[in-house]
Parts: sequence; C-alpha cells; structure tokens
Amino acid sequence: MSILLFTATGCARCAIAKKFMAEKGLAYDEHDAIGAGKERFGQFYRAHRSAVFRGKEGIEFPVLAQGGEIRQGVAAALAWLQSGSRLDGFIGRSEPSKGWVGGLHVARGDPGEAESLAGVLGFLKRNGLKLQLDTDGRNPAVLERLLRQGLGDRVVMDLKGPRALYPALVGAPVDLQDVERSMALVARFPEFRFETTVAPVPAAEGGREAIRYLHPEEIAATARWLKEATGSHRQPYFLRVFDPETAADDRLHSVEALSPGALVRYRTAARTHQVLTEIQAGSA
Amino acid sequence: MTYPTIFPTGATIYDPGRCWNGYTVFQAKEVGALLIDMNGGEVQLWKELHGMPNRILPGGYLMGSSGERSTAFGSQDGIDLIQVDWDGNIVWRFNQYEFIEDPGEEPQWMARQHHDYQREGSPVGYYAPGLEPLTDRGSTLVLAHKNVRNPAICDKPLLDDTLIEVNWEGEVVWEWVCSEHFEELGFREDARNLLFRNPNWLQSGGGAGDWMHINSMSLLGPNRWFDAGDRRFHPDNIIWCARESNITAVVDRQTSRIVWRLGPNYDETPELRRLGWIIGQHHAHMIPRGLPGEGNILIFDNGGWAGYGSPNPGAPTGFRNALRDYSRVLEVDPASLRVVWQYTPVEAGLPFPVDANRFYSPFISSAQRLPNGNTLITEGSGGRIIEVTAGHEIVWEYISPYWGKMLRINMIYRAYRVPYRWVPQVEQPQERAIERIDVTRFRVPGASPSGTRRVVTVAGVLPYRPDAALCVRTDVGGETAKETSG
Repeated sequence: MSILLFTATGCARCAIAKKFMAEKGLAYDEHDAIGAGKERFGQFYRAHRSAVFRGKEGIEFPVLAQGGEIRQGVAAALAWLQSGSRLDGFIGRSEPSKGWVGGLHVARGDPGEAESLAGVLGFLKRNGLKLQLDTDGRNPAVLERLLRQGLGDRVVMDLKGPRALYPALVGAPVDLQDVERSMALVARFPEFRFETTVAPVPAAEGGREAIRYLHPEEIAATARWLKEATGSHRQPYFLRVFDPETAADDRLHSVEALSPGALVRYRTAARTHQVLTEIQAGSA
Repeated sequence: MTYPTIFPTGATIYDPGRCWNGYTVFQAKEVGALLIDMNGGEVQLWKELHGMPNRILPGGYLMGSSGERSTAFGSQDGIDLIQVDWDGNIVWRFNQYEFIEDPGEEPQWMARQHHDYQREGSPVGYYAPGLEPLTDRGSTLVLAHKNVRNPAICDKPLLDDTLIEVNWEGEVVWEWVCSEHFEELGFREDARNLLFRNPNWLQSGGGAGDWMHINSMSLLGPNRWFDAGDRRFHPDNIIWCARESNITAVVDRQTSRIVWRLGPNYDETPELRRLGWIIGQHHAHMIPRGLPGEGNILIFDNGGWAGYGSPNPGAPTGFRNALRDYSRVLEVDPASLRVVWQYTPVEAGLPFPVDANRFYSPFISSAQRLPNGNTLITEGSGGRIIEVTAGHEIVWEYISPYWGKMLRINMIYRAYRVPYRWVPQVEQPQERAIERIDVTRFRVPGASPSGTRRVVTVAGVLPYRPDAALCVRTDVGGETAKETSG
C-alpha cells in the first residue's frame, strides 16, 4: 500500500517523519500542503474532513494516509508506520506546542506493545522533541519502563478522584494499587504535575440514579491519597473545572458547569493534605 | 512640606464639644497597636502586635497580625491575621492562604494579608449605627497577595492582589484575583505598553511587579443606590482602590466582574475632568448607612506619584506619570461623580498653591466619617491625625510621637475612632479641652520671647499689597482644588 504524506514548508516534525521512513526504507508520495501541493491537500481535506483535526493553531502536520487509514502528527504517523494500529491507544491527538509532543497516553494502550511504544518515543526524543506523557494511573509497568529509558520529559497525571470512586470515574475496572504505583512513579520524572477534574459522578439518591459533583471532602481524600502514595504533601496538584460540553458520557452534557470560583472551597479542602494545591489557570 | 525641627507631639488640639469623642487606635511605628484617648493618653499598647491596619472590635478585641514575612522574599505580606482580646490572647487566627517555603526560613502557612480586611457585620470596619463587626463568628474578607504570571499584562512575574473570603474556621471559601480582570480595568495603550515593560518592579523574592498595589477593600453595605435598583451597588459588592494604577473599582460578588470604576484615566468625560486626576489614593470606601454622607464614596486622594501612561517631564518613561504635591479628601457621589464634600489645602486654609503641600501625604492615609458629620483624617506620612468638622474646622489633632528606628518616620498607616463602649474594660476617660496655642507667641525654653525690642518708622513706605512678594500666581493652577471647593 502506498503512503501519502502531506507536509508543510519548514515543518521540523515532517522532517523527522521523513527521516524515520528513510531509515525504514519506506517509499512515500509527499505533497507540501502550503506550497506546491496545496491543491492536492485541499482535495484530500475535503474528502476526509472528519479525520483531520483543525485546532486553534490550524492543522498539525505531517498528515499520513495509507490504505484508508489516516494519522495526524509526527507521533501518530510514526506509530502507524512502526506498528499499524496497535499503538493507537497510546498515541492520540497532540496540541501543537513548540518543541513538545503530547497526546501520549500511557494508560490507554496495550501494555504488550510497550517495547514498540518505547521505540517510537525514543526516535522522537533522539530527534530533539520533548515528550509529555499523561496517565490516569493504569499501566504502571509501561510508565516505569519509559521512566527507566528517559522517555518522558513531563508527566501529567489525571488523578480522577478518591479511591472509592476511582473505577466509576475512569469508567472501567481499575487496580487501585496500579494507581498508587503510578503516583509514585510520576513524582520521579523530571517534570510532573497531578490534576483532578472536579467531575460529576453517578450517585444513588432516594433510590434513583442521579448525578452529582465530587464533594470537597472527596477532593480532600484524593489529596490525602496522593500524599500517602508519594510520601509528600508538597506535590504540584491542580484542580480543574469539568466541561460538560466535551464529556464522553452523553448523560453529562446537561450537567450545569461549575464556575472556576466554585473550586476555591475544593482547593481549601485539598490543601489540608497537599499544601501547594492550585486551581488550574484558565480552567473552565 | 516644611516641617520645623521641633514641634509638639501627642494631642495638640481638642474641642470636646465639637468632637465625636471616643478612642483612637493606630499602629505606632515599630512599637505596636496603640489605643489612645482624646487627650492623647495611651490607654493600652498591644506591644509589637503588627497591623495593616489595626482595628478595635466591640468588647475590647483588637485585630492585627503577629508579624510580616521576611522582606527578602516578600513585600508587605502579613504572616497571619489575628483577633486578640484585651489581654492579648489570640481568639481567632487565619493563615492558611499559601504555604510558603522561603530559603532559610521555616516553611509555614501564611495569610499574605496586606492593607485591609473586613469582619462580617461591618462593611467598612469602623463604627456605624447598627453595623457592628462580629467578634465570635462570621466571615472575614481579606486583601492578600499572590504571585502570578499573566503574559497579557507583562512577561515578568507579578505580585498580584487577591480578595478572599475566610470563614470563622479559617477556610478560604471565595477568591477574586485582580490580574484575571485586566481587560476590565480600562488601561489605554500607552499604559499597557509601559506596564508590560515596568509593572512597578520590586526586587524582593527574586523580583515581581507590584502592578496594582491595592491598598483598601471593603463592602458597600446597605445603601440608597441599591435600594433604588442600581445593582452595581449590591451591599455584598466590594470596593477597592489601587495606588499604582489610580483605579478605584467595585467588584460584583456574584459574577466577579468589575461593575463600577473610577480611573485610571480622569480625562475621558466632563465629569471626570471636573473631579480631577486622583493619584495614589487610599482608603476608598462607601460611607456606611447611618452616617452623614451615607452612600457617597470617601477617598484619601494622596497625590504624590502614581499611574502608567505617556512620558512627561516629571515621568520620563511614563512610569508614575501623574504627579501632585498635595492631598485631597474627597466625598464623591458615585452616580454623578460630583464632589459632595472635600478637604483640600484650600479648605485647610492654606494659600493655594504656594502652601498647598502642608496638607500632603504621598502614601498611606485614610478618612473615616463620624456620626456627627465630622471626618477623622489620617495624614499618614507625617504621623498626623485630625478630626475636621463638615465646615472644615480642625477640632482634634494628634501627632504620633513614635518614630521608627529602622525607618525614621512617625508614619501612621490608618487610624480609626471607636466609641468608648467598644472598650468596656476601662472607665470612660475625662475629656479635657486643649486650648489652641498661639504659635506666633509660643517659644521653647531658651528662646527669646515674642515681640520686637525696637521699632523705627521710615517715611514714605507704602502698605503691603496682596501677593506682591510671590513669584508665582495664586489664581491659577489649582483647578482641582478650587473648582470643586465648597
């Protein structure tokens, strides 16, 4: 199957993708989407609009297409070229950020593909990009491997909530010891932070299923759990406002959003156990 | 500002029949919180208890702070805010706003309180009928510091001002961060440009821009504007003023938006031009219900140097580009922006502008409306507190005798008058009138008595003419003081 590669003039990440393909001996058909290949990319974009993400900064390149599959961004493109769709869970969309690659989800992929993931991240790292990983605590073995191999310049841990509600908040069975192990590992990366979104959770009220927001006491319990798992009450811990519009669960779209100001009480509660807790700037 | 080398301190003027008599509390420089009576008698000193400001609460309680953060790392950060009883026992404390780990210092929670706070019950922290602060419960609004970065303002770290509500248990339950409302502050392009380059840079703690320097914060309290349907003046809304930007504003507690604002520019409407440029102001607050002038905004308009804008000869870079060498106390109708009452060098009886700087405090200072219509004015830099009548007569004057050892100044940040009954632990003091000393005849020991030993007459000399000896005209230049006079 032929490889179609859309690049952009002066795009360093496109150069990294081409270097990867050259090393693998992969042939491809390249079009400069903002140069001579503009018309060709326009046709492609109109035909695959839903598969190509256009963010605030525009479209991230490279965009790679092969056999009906489309991958956008250098990490996703390399992952496809190396392992087909087997790394899809690990690598998602990355918001363009100078010198950094994000969208690297440690918790979401198949841990059996860890070696392949490390291969892709190692290539990106050797070519000068910094790696931002994220995790919700699952797959601690993968996280540990990446830590050992120096394949994470920054880790953001989405600490979903307190122990008792963790599986419900993740929406899947979770081994809580995995989460605790991940917390401890995260704190060993060069740069890291822990975040909790003050999210709605299903609750039974009066025999009926209802939805309520996490309580400040539950955020305090989360902060305490973080202290116990990492041995420190000084972790960089941030609280975020839940955005109902982007919720994966349709039931949550109608939940009224909290104002950032409402998080002040949650921050106060969390600071009982994590003294550096802050409300994430721009959290809305 | 011509000060004699020798002058009396303590109470210097006192007319008991025309004063609103009570105790006065203030932070005596590097000494502590001092409570004095009308004759200047020192009723009680809470030794080395800091306070920015100190306030007396009913029952003889005092509010202040146990200390200040090392100035190597912070600027005016109060470690805590405390309430102590008459015997100095701490009955309430707040410090859990930020966990601070300064190099070489013990890590600790700090309130980072500065300049102001308000205990529930009293919107402005001074006496008004039926609006007394709670002493055993209730929330406290605190003006605090927070270090932030906000590239829309400046690429450098900022020392920001926050307003926080703390419940009786010491938990922060509400927060307003000034920098998050930058676009609501009305800075023009020249000011924004300068702010980006120089946000009033301080060196302490590795450096930060004290870009606003909010120096007062109080609730509006019940008022006639809200009663008439103007929701900008909801009693729960908060008024603050900031000396570096010359802004006074009201924050809506529900939306956190700024709903009323004075400054930073005073040349954009006829009303503002008539009001004149307010510079480096302090203690802007709404006169509480039950006091003469209730609903109006009382401001100590310092003058001095403040603001961001275009360069001028007095401010070559545009930093602190508004300048004036006298102060004004203004009572302003917040709807029309008309001055209802004022005390400026003109009302003080000082020839304007040549002697205007005799009423001048370029920093700190305050004004408190009293129940009989008098106004207690702290002319802070010179350590002077005066009580003036509505007709501008001084009926009480006190000069602080406390000069700091580290800073040789007898400054008073802000003084408050409270009723005698708020301090039930002591008997009401005797009030003894202090007759005005005729300074033209007053001599210190060793000086010759007044009077000329010999007078000669020169034939043909003419009588003196008005202003004949002055090098500057006295009928121009004092627009803001003169046009709004009376």
